[in-house]
Amino acid sequence: MKIHSKSTVKRNPRKRAGKYAITIATSALVLSACGSSSTSSSSASTSASGTSGGITTINWWASPLGGAGDRQKLITAFEAANPNIKIKLISAPTNTDTNRAQLITQISGGATTPDVFMGDVIWPAQFGAHGLALPLSKYLPASYFAKFAPGLVSGASYKGQVYGSPLFSDQGFLYYRKDLLAKANLPVPTTWPQLESEAVTLVKDGLVQNGFVWEGNSYEGLTCNFMEYLASAGGTVVNSGYSASTINSAAGLKALTFMRSLITSGASPASVTTMQEPQAESTFVAGNSAFLRNWTYAWADSQNPATSKVVGKVGVAPLPTFPGQSGPGYSNIGGWNLYVNPHTKHLQADLTFLKWMSGTAAQTTLGNLSFIPTVESVRQAFASSTTAPPPLQIAAKTKLVPRPSGTPNYAAVSQAIYANVNAALSGSTSVASALSTASSQMNSALGGGL
Amino acid sequence: MVATETKVTEATPTSKAASKKLRDRNQILLARLGWRFTTPSLLVVGLVTIFPISFSVILSLSNVTLSGNGFSLGGFTFNNFSILIHSSEWRYALAFTIFYTIVSVLVEVILGTMIALLMERLSGGRGPMMALLLLPWSIITVISAELWQYIFQGSYGVMQQIFSAVGLGKPVFLGSPTPAIISMMIADIWKTTPFVAVIVLAGLVMLPGDVFEAAAVDGCSGWVMFWKITFPLLRPTIAIAVLFRILQAFGIFDLPFVLTGGGPGTSTTSLAILGYKAMFQNLQFGPGSAVAVSATGLVLIGCLSFLKVFKSQVNSGE
Amino acid sequence: MERKKKTGFARYINLVNLGVFVVVTSVSLPIYWLVISSLKQPVAIGASPPQYIPSPFSFANYQQAFSQYGFSQYFINSMIVTVAATILVLGLGSLAGYGLARLPMRGKTTIMLTLLVISLFPGIAVIPPLYLMMRTIGWLNSYQALIVPYTAFNLPFAIWILRNYFLGLPKEMEETGRIDGASPLRIYWSIILPQALPGLFTAGVFTFTACWTEFLMALTLNNSNSFRTIPVGIALFGTPFNIPYGTIFAASVVAVVPIGILVFVFRKSVVSGLTSGAVKG
Repeated sequence: MKIHSKSTVKRNPRKRAGKYAITIATSALVLSACGSSSTSSSSASTSASGTSGGITTINWWASPLGGAGDRQKLITAFEAANPNIKIKLISAPTNTDTNRAQLITQISGGATTPDVFMGDVIWPAQFGAHGLALPLSKYLPASYFAKFAPGLVSGASYKGQVYGSPLFSDQGFLYYRKDLLAKANLPVPTTWPQLESEAVTLVKDGLVQNGFVWEGNSYEGLTCNFMEYLASAGGTVVNSGYSASTINSAAGLKALTFMRSLITSGASPASVTTMQEPQAESTFVAGNSAFLRNWTYAWADSQNPATSKVVGKVGVAPLPTFPGQSGPGYSNIGGWNLYVNPHTKHLQADLTFLKWMSGTAAQTTLGNLSFIPTVESVRQAFASSTTAPPPLQIAAKTKLVPRPSGTPNYAAVSQAIYANVNAALSGSTSVASALSTASSQMNSALGGGL
Repeated sequence: MVATETKVTEATPTSKAASKKLRDRNQILLARLGWRFTTPSLLVVGLVTIFPISFSVILSLSNVTLSGNGFSLGGFTFNNFSILIHSSEWRYALAFTIFYTIVSVLVEVILGTMIALLMERLSGGRGPMMALLLLPWSIITVISAELWQYIFQGSYGVMQQIFSAVGLGKPVFLGSPTPAIISMMIADIWKTTPFVAVIVLAGLVMLPGDVFEAAAVDGCSGWVMFWKITFPLLRPTIAIAVLFRILQAFGIFDLPFVLTGGGPGTSTTSLAILGYKAMFQNLQFGPGSAVAVSATGLVLIGCLSFLKVFKSQVNSGE
Repeated sequence: MERKKKTGFARYINLVNLGVFVVVTSVSLPIYWLVISSLKQPVAIGASPPQYIPSPFSFANYQQAFSQYGFSQYFINSMIVTVAATILVLGLGSLAGYGLARLPMRGKTTIMLTLLVISLFPGIAVIPPLYLMMRTIGWLNSYQALIVPYTAFNLPFAIWILRNYFLGLPKEMEETGRIDGASPLRIYWSIILPQALPGLFTAGVFTFTACWTEFLMALTLNNSNSFRTIPVGIALFGTPFNIPYGTIFAASVVAVVPIGILVFVFRKSVVSGLTSGAVKG
C-alpha cells in the first residue's frame, strides 16, 4: 500500500525571461516516462525512502560531526521520541565543497532524497536563490524561529524567507598555552598587537617553535580569519545592499597590513599561509605553537590524550581586538543548519525532525558534545554552567561577525577575498594591490561574473 | 570460412578479374568483421558519453540558470566564452595549465623512457620492480596529494627537515608561487612517471629482436642504436604515452585541489579547478562548461599538432 | 648507457644497478613515509621534528579504518566494480583494438580521434548530466552505475594502447593461421591474444587502477553505504575540520595491496613476455 503524503511541495515557479526555457532535468524524466511507467519508483529508488506500515523513513544527509557515533546518538533519541519516523543517515563527504557539489548535483537533478540535509551556514542565499532548499518560513511559524540566538535566523535567510534551521553554531576562539604564558610571565592577550609581541617573545626566548598559528591558506577559512581582523579594525567587505565592495578601505589596509606583519615579525611562522584547520591544530596539539585561532572543536581535541600533548595546558579566550576598540574582538560565525530538499516527499516528517533537532533535548545533547547550541535558552544554560566545555562558557561573551553570505554569489566573493589576501600574506603581492584586486574581483562577482 | 575461400581462389588460377573480385569480397567481409569487433565498444562508449558531452557543449553555448528543477537554458549565446576571454583568471589558468602540462609531461616521458630501458636490461627482479613502480600510480590521487602535502608541510613536513639538515634553511614549499608549482610537479612526476615507464616497457618488449641483433653485429653503439633503431620503433608507443599524459595533465584537478587549493593566491589554479569553482561553488554552469569545452578544444588542437609532428600514429595500419 | 662486449660487462652492470638504485629509492621514500605515518599515533602526526621511525608502532589507525569506518564494505564494493569493469574493458577493448589494427575498415582515423576526444573531456563537466542519466534509468546506487561508465571512460585508452600492440605484432603467424583455415575469431583468440600479453597487462593494469581510484563518479552516483567504494569511503573519514591523516594513510596502504597482488599474480605472463624480448637497444 502506498500512502501519498499530502505535502506535495510547491516548487517556486521561477519564471525565466528566456523565450524558450527548457528544463532539462524534467525533460529527461519525461523521456523515461515514455519508456517505462515506473518513473517515480525508479527515482525513489535512490535510497529506501518511503512510507510503509505507518512508518515514514526520511533520509538525513550529514557529514560527520565530531566523535564517531554523534549523529547516531541524535537519531536514536529522535526515533525513540517519534516512533512513526525512521531516519536513514547518509554520511556526507567531510570536505565542505565536495559535500555541496554533491547536494547541488542531486537536488538540481530532481532527487527526492536526501529529505533533510545538514549544510554550512553560508549556503542559504545560494541555495535559496537557486531553489535548492525549501523556504522553511513558509511552513514553520515565526515562533519557531524566535527561539534561536540572535543573528542566526537572519544569517539563514534570503529575501525575507528562512531557508535553514540552525543546528549548531561555531565561531573563532583564541587558544593559548597557559604553561608558556606563566613561564614568561605574560598575560592572556586582549589586543592583536599584544598577541603579536607576546608570540615574538615566546619564540625568541626559545620556549616554543611557533608563536601564533591560524588558517592562512587560500581557501574559505582565510575569509573567516580575515573577517575577524577586519571587523575589529572597524571595516566591512561589502555594502549593505550587496552591490559594491568596501574592502579597499583604511580598515581593510589596517587589518591586512597587521596580518602580514604577523608573518614578517616572526609572530607567526611563514607556513601559516599554507595552513588550514588541521595543520594549524596539529602544530598546537603537538606542543609546538603558543597561540592558535581555531573553532570550537579544537578544545576537545586539545584535551584528548590520544591526539594531544598539551592536555591541561590549554586556555581559551575570545579573540583579541585592535587597541582603542572595546574588547573582546570579533569572532566569525560558522556552524551548520538543517535544510529541506524542495523535492522531498515527506515534508511533515522532515519538519518534525527539524523541530526535534532544535528542541531542548537535541540541543543539550549537542552542547554536551561540545557544539555551541543555537537555541538561546540552551546556549545560556551552558554559558552559565561551570562544568560546560570552556568554549561554550565564553561563547556568550564574544562579539560575532558573519561572512558576507547574503548574496547568492557569495562563493565567488569569498574566492576574491581569500585568494588576494593569501597572495598578500605570502608576500607575492603588496597589501595595497591585493586589496584593490580583491575589490574589483568582488565587484565583478557581486554582479554575477566569473 | 573467409580464410578458406582465399586459399581456394589463390590455388585455382582462373581469370585475374574474378580473383580480384573475390579478394574485394573478402576485404568487405573482413571489414564487416572489423565492425562487428569494434561496434560493441563504440556502443558502450557512445551510449554513456554522448549525452553528457553534448549536454556540456550545449550548456557552454547557452544562458544557463540552475534551479531545483534542473538546468534552464535561456537561448543560444557565445557570452560564456567571451566571459572567459575577458577574465584574467581564465587566462592565467590557461597559461599555467599549458606550462604545467608541457614541463611535467616532458620530464615524465624522458624519465619514464629511461626507466623502461633500464628495466629492459634488468636480468632479474622485474616482477617486484614493476610492482614497486606501479605503487605510486595506484595510490588514490587525493591521498597521494595529502601525502605530499604532509611531506611538504611548512612547519612539520619531512622535506623541510631534510632541507634544514643539509643547511638550506627552512623553506615553506607551498607558501609561494614558484616553489608551490615545483612541489606540485614533483608530486605529479612521482605518481605518473611509472605510467609512462610501464607503457614504454611493454612497447619495448614487443619490438622484434632480430633488428637489434643485426645492429649489434654491425657494431652499433648503445647510444646510436637507441636513436637509430629503438626510438623510431618505439615512437608510436611513446606517442600514446605522451598523448594520454597530456590529456591527464591538462585536466589536472585532484592534486592542486588537495595540495594547494589552487594557491598561494591563484598560482596553481588549473583550468579544471577554475571550471569546478565556477560550476560547483559559484553555480555558474554556463561559464563553467565553457571552461571545460574550451579546454577540450585547445587540448585537441594540441594533440593533433603533436600527432602530426610525431608522424601520424593514427594513420598507421590504415 | 652503453652496451659493450664482455670487456665492458662489469661497468654495464654497475650503471644499471646504479640506475635501479636511484629509481627504487625515489619511488620508495614517499611510500615509506606513507606507511610509517599510518603506523604513528595520531598525536605524533604533527610532531616536529617528525618521527622517522614510529615510536611506538601503533596499529590503531588500521583498527579504526576497519572498525569505526566500515572499510571492508567499501573494499568489497571497489573489488566488484573494478574487476567487472576491467574484464569488460579488456574483452571489448581487445576485440576493437584488433579490428582497428588489422581489419580493413573505413573510417579508422575518425574512430580513433573520436575516442581521443571522449577521453579528453574533463570529468567534472560530465558529472551532472551523467547523474541525470543514471537517475532517469534508475541505476543510482547500484554496481552497474559505476561498472558501465568506468568501462566507457576507460575503453578509449585501452583501445588505443591495445591497437598499438596489435600493430606491432608480426603478421606472419596470423597469415599462417589464415592459410590453415582458422576463423578470424580463432586467429584473434589463439594467435593474437597470447602474443599481446604485455599489451593486455598494460591496458588491464591501467584500467584497474583508474577504476580503483576513481572518486567523483563513485561519489555522485552511489550515495548508499552498501555501494560506496574505497576512495569515497575515505572521503568520509574525520570531520569537516579534522583530517585523520593516520587513518587515511592506513586505509590507502590497504587499498594498494590488491594492485600489488594483481601484479604478482600476472607477473609470470609479464615477465615471460619481457624475457622473450631478449636483448634490445
